[in-house]
Amino acid sequence: MKKTRRIETMVELVRILAAIGIAYLIALVTLFAISDDPVFIIRQFVLGPFSSVRRIGSVINLAIPFTFTGLCFCFMYAVNKFNLSGEGIFMFSGCIVTLLAITLGRFGIPAGILIPLLILCGALTGFIVSLIPAYLDVKFSANIVVVSLMLNSILTFLSIWVLKYFMRDPTIGSLGSYVLPDAARLPSVFGKFRIQAGVFVALAMVIIVAVLFYKTIFGYKMRVVGSNQHFAKASGINMTVTIILAQLVGGAFAGMGGACEIMGNYDRFKWTASTQHGFDGLMVAVLARRNPILVPVAAVLLAYIRIGADVVNSKGDIPIQFITVIQGIVILLVAAEEFMGRFKKNLIYKAAQEDMMKDRERETREIMADAEATEAGKESVE
Amino acid sequence: MPGEVLRMENITKIYSNGFVANKDITFWLNEKEILALVGENGAGKTTLMKVLFGLESAQTGHVLVREQPVKIENTLDAIDKGIGMVHQHFMLVPSLTVAENVILGIEPLRKGTLDYNKAIEMAGEVAEKYNFNIDPKARVSDLSVGQMQKVEIMKVLIRGAKIIIMDEPTAVLTPQETEELFEQLILLKESGHSIIFISHKLEEVKRICSRVTVLRHGYCLGSYDLKDMSESDISKLMVGRDVVLKIEKDRPKPEKVVVNIKDLTKFDAQGKTVLEHISMSIRAGEVVGIAGVEGNGQSELSDVLCGMGGFSAGEVLINGTNIQGKTVHEIRESGLAYIAEDRMQFGCAPDMSIRDNIIADRYFKKEYHKGPFINRKYIDELVDRCIIEFEIACDDRDQPVRMLSGGNIQKVVVAREFTSGSNFILANQPTRGIDVGAAEMIRKMIVKKSREEKTAALLISADLNEVLECSDRLLVMRKGRIVAAFPQANLVSEEVLGEYMLGIKTMTAAEMEDLL
Repeated sequence: MKKTRRIETMVELVRILAAIGIAYLIALVTLFAISDDPVFIIRQFVLGPFSSVRRIGSVINLAIPFTFTGLCFCFMYAVNKFNLSGEGIFMFSGCIVTLLAITLGRFGIPAGILIPLLILCGALTGFIVSLIPAYLDVKFSANIVVVSLMLNSILTFLSIWVLKYFMRDPTIGSLGSYVLPDAARLPSVFGKFRIQAGVFVALAMVIIVAVLFYKTIFGYKMRVVGSNQHFAKASGINMTVTIILAQLVGGAFAGMGGACEIMGNYDRFKWTASTQHGFDGLMVAVLARRNPILVPVAAVLLAYIRIGADVVNSKGDIPIQFITVIQGIVILLVAAEEFMGRFKKNLIYKAAQEDMMKDRERETREIMADAEATEAGKESVE
Repeated sequence: MPGEVLRMENITKIYSNGFVANKDITFWLNEKEILALVGENGAGKTTLMKVLFGLESAQTGHVLVREQPVKIENTLDAIDKGIGMVHQHFMLVPSLTVAENVILGIEPLRKGTLDYNKAIEMAGEVAEKYNFNIDPKARVSDLSVGQMQKVEIMKVLIRGAKIIIMDEPTAVLTPQETEELFEQLILLKESGHSIIFISHKLEEVKRICSRVTVLRHGYCLGSYDLKDMSESDISKLMVGRDVVLKIEKDRPKPEKVVVNIKDLTKFDAQGKTVLEHISMSIRAGEVVGIAGVEGNGQSELSDVLCGMGGFSAGEVLINGTNIQGKTVHEIRESGLAYIAEDRMQFGCAPDMSIRDNIIADRYFKKEYHKGPFINRKYIDELVDRCIIEFEIACDDRDQPVRMLSGGNIQKVVVAREFTSGSNFILANQPTRGIDVGAAEMIRKMIVKKSREEKTAALLISADLNEVLECSDRLLVMRKGRIVAAFPQANLVSEEVLGEYMLGIKTMTAAEMEDLL
């Protein structure tokens, strides 16, 4: 049986690689059909993200919000709740943090205090907002997907309203807030890479979440509840509290992501539509197989594909939508748990059959010895 | 020599977790015979029959029906080849009538709608032909278990099955109902049907079958003529030794009352009374058994005691604590350990490791954590001890439970519940569907804990042998009430028990006084 476990892990890895391989293959074939210079395009797509220091930095920068929202969805998944409010929380938290930064910026609070405070406020925003779908679900069995999607719309327009009436800078042409105070800007690090300092926060959070998931009592409870609710109930685990709290903590990470994004990459708040970071986080969590340790890996992968698409878009004759299709295929194949299921089963069967052959002689001998003792002259019909 | 109607050759079935359930099995079935398929739980009987009926597909081997090779990929193929299966757990729609159940899938139509009169006629015809004394217009939910089984058999017959698989048909029946079933089976045999009869009750096999095929650990140990075989010969082939069904135990020395149930009544969501005025107590150091045909309130009683379902009236005290309105956690804290009826649903989290499964009821206790962190070292030691003490066959403590065999999964459950330090064990069907070795160990443990650690145990089981062997006091439940009580379980015969289970006899409250 030890073999079975090894085969399952191995197939899992092969599956993800195969999914990516197939997606790129489809991209390749399609490119040959629609592009004038397919080789150039593919090189741009695959190698483009590495072509300059700036671009590598962009991949990392893009992976940071993906990591936060990916962690958020790891929590939702862990308790088996499809609470999608991470999307709305990301934008709303960015908005609230901007408002606070502009307000507090007048008091000349140093960056060392203001930045952690703002990140905390972002987290708190997420924590509080995700209580709405979580509570409605547990208390009134309101469908959590519907509630959280509606909540996302509410949060989007609430953010725009706050932007328009509380912090709009009338001196600029487009819709945008006042400039963020310097003390509320995350510095760029690693010189030319120009990576925003949020990367440290993100990595620290990955470690904290991994510890929380696998080393703490709360993480244990969450995993039991997510794995088998009936069993959790029969074991006396307080499900309601665990399920709600997991979603609140998840929401907090989406909020933190929104805060870091605004403070790291923007000089003012100017989102006027939902940012999609939440749904990207959903993808990241699926790619990472709900495992927080794999979230940054999946986030970088997704960011790499996105930046590749940007490069192609700016240099070639391929529309960016094309890349979205490729990305869709990758997610589809990774998320389809039974993809390569037959391959896995065959490997398991083969291993089991080999074992059977090996054990057979011994087992037969044992059984025959027993049977002979019993039969004592009686003959089988055979 | 009558011809061969069915032959399964070189069947090997491997489940997707790598478990080999059938290893190169070959057997055949003659026309107009009742063939016994015997073997311990977990020997591969049900799997083999599922392959035959198209519910599972085998990796190797083939099936011949009347010497013609056939492909059976789903149940429709099987039915088409004249194979029918009566499952261990009935597959009926309780709210429909007998006739509606029987014709489900082959409905007679008139102008595109169901021709109900024709359906009743069809069902009545089959019932009459094979001497089933059953009313086609009766609602299935109003039938007894024995009658439901007849409906199952009618379902198979109306589809024209000539080969009938009976998967442990007597497991749910009382001795009286079994008798009736046997007459029916012999009648079917004489009218030209061939029957595969799965059972591990060897005296039954001896009575109605002509040949026996023995399975063990997924191997087929051959087919034998029953006139040459005694019961003990078969049982040695099945398990490799004489099965000791007797459990050695001293007389119980009951002490203080641990569980006290007073006038417990429960209505279900439809307002039907499922438990009615139940009063009983369980003392430290004794095992109280509850026998009864399944569905007579045993599950509801178990749900009440473990806190999974509330109750409407009465009082339940565990170690003096009233459990009304208490959470499962609080009830467990007051002394309950609980082996659930459905182990995959309520007894374990299949995808989680053995370790994570064993600590589910106690992770919050202070030895198990340091602050918010799990005390990994302490837990690993405990789990390793459990694996050794309860003989759990596994790679290591990190193996997901779903990769274990049924018997070993149940051992994980038992390891958790028996080491929880509770003084009341509620065991609901603790050995259902697991191999004899594991079952024997679990039964002995229940008795041992009551003698050595003075636990109070309530054993609910549909397996009459089990309740008769393990229990000290024995109660019988019927229609949500306790209808009989015996001071010493091992002095009760199955026949007497059957009479109470069926409601032929009922004890009065005065007769049961002092025994509850």
